[in-house]
Amino acid sequence: MVGVGFRREFAEELISGEHIRPDFIELAPENWMNIGGYWKKILHRVVEKYLVLCHGLSLSIGSPDALDKEFLAYVKTFLQEYKVQLYSEHLSYSKCDNAHMYDLLPIPFRMDAVQHIVSRIQQVQDYLQRSLAMEIVSYYTPVAAEMSEIDFINEVVKRSGCQLLLDVNNIYVNAFNHQYDAKAFIQQLPLSSIAYIHMAGHEQVAPDLIIDTHGEPIIDPVYDLFEWTLAHLQPVPVLLERDFNIPEMAELQGEITRLKSICHKQWKLKDELVA
Amino acid sequence: MNLLPDTYHIQQTFSEGCRTGKKVQLPGVVADRLAHYRRLVFNNIRDTMESAFPIAFTNIPSRKWNKMVKDFFADHACQSYQLWKLPLEFYTYAVEHSWDEQYDIPYLNDLLAFEWAEMELYNMEDIPVPTYRIEGSWLDTPLVLNPEHRLLSFSWPVHLKAKRRELMTRKGIYFALLYRHPETGNIQFTDLSPWLAFLTEQLAMGITVRDILDYAPQLHITDTDTLELDTLAFLKEMQQQHFVLGFQS
Repeated sequence: MVGVGFRREFAEELISGEHIRPDFIELAPENWMNIGGYWKKILHRVVEKYLVLCHGLSLSIGSPDALDKEFLAYVKTFLQEYKVQLYSEHLSYSKCDNAHMYDLLPIPFRMDAVQHIVSRIQQVQDYLQRSLAMEIVSYYTPVAAEMSEIDFINEVVKRSGCQLLLDVNNIYVNAFNHQYDAKAFIQQLPLSSIAYIHMAGHEQVAPDLIIDTHGEPIIDPVYDLFEWTLAHLQPVPVLLERDFNIPEMAELQGEITRLKSICHKQWKLKDELVA
Repeated sequence: MNLLPDTYHIQQTFSEGCRTGKKVQLPGVVADRLAHYRRLVFNNIRDTMESAFPIAFTNIPSRKWNKMVKDFFADHACQSYQLWKLPLEFYTYAVEHSWDEQYDIPYLNDLLAFEWAEMELYNMEDIPVPTYRIEGSWLDTPLVLNPEHRLLSFSWPVHLKAKRRELMTRKGIYFALLYRHPETGNIQFTDLSPWLAFLTEQLAMGITVRDILDYAPQLHITDTDTLELDTLAFLKEMQQQHFVLGFQS
């Protein structure tokens, strides 16, 4: 099952289904909560047509600030209203000193941060009465790390019982930026906890730096890493993210088709997915 | 909280660097990589403001505009978890810090208010419409208005003019009515005279047109011969435009 991130720029095309036809869509609750008017109508039409998964932006699980209970209440209502089958978020923080940053900042890889995050993930899971899938984010510099990234992630998953969202492009980006082996990294993850995969494009801005832009097509080495990864996983939903430089729908559908073909090849002996 | 003070401080310092663009030193952090974070974070804020305030962005010199956005983001703790609502905080910050005087843009508050109202109306939650009838007495039946509207008053005609030189010579009292078209969701706006603004305000409170007209002399409106006809013509036109929906049932 391969979906696409729901963007206003191609909402009508998704509804018509003429040139692009994903198996599901993913949207950020923050962008659609308490919305009315034209876009509420569009949201209802797209939800009638497609299965919906949600990928949040503002939970800020790694923040030193307290969890925002009011926000969580809205998320809960939204997930129930739109019968969302999977809710994922980022292993990062986006709020500090009571100020939203609207981007994903890297958490120090430290044991006290692990304990802090585990406690918060458990609070959120208990409140929402569902498991969270936490995305391993791309990052451009380590921050005061006292443990390795892989140990940090594994501790969070083991202690919190959360699931993982594996963004294969993020792993590629991180492996390039921090000079490690992407496959070796993936092999050390708790693969049975991976509930969802993201795929996206990126931009190399310096000889030693790639930025995770979601504004370019997926490159072949990331497809290769994706295919290699699938061979080690049970079927899970796969999402194509494209947030900027939106191309013609035929191009996006081409990427969806390529992803589906890889899924089919690698998972043909297993059950075709399921959220 | 399980975070140690040191980790807490590191996260604060990192985010502070992203907010202000000031150089910070943290263990393990590569300086030029922090600059990338600052760029990514700030570009998001800058783009949000440009898209929310296209007229202000076009008409305010870029040096001033950039300083406004930078100062706002560095100094203000952004509260909304929904990015589309952040422009309201920008507008509020501008008013609180008297940017109209500081930047010598006397119409700034009006312009930001106008542009924010348009965005808010476009995105805001649907407001249930009371039941109404198509037929009724224009004078004696309370009218049902499209509840998705804003009635704004300005000292500068920012809803009519965009250029500074055109605005600066026109200080006065202006009213604008903005409303969301029930079917398309598009935002319409119309300039109102003080009388029509008063009328709209009273109609929204359920007062009948006749009672509002009776009040006209107290507003020192003495030329009442055509007032009723003009008022009804306006309301019938606004019915065509989906602002007046019908008559209370």
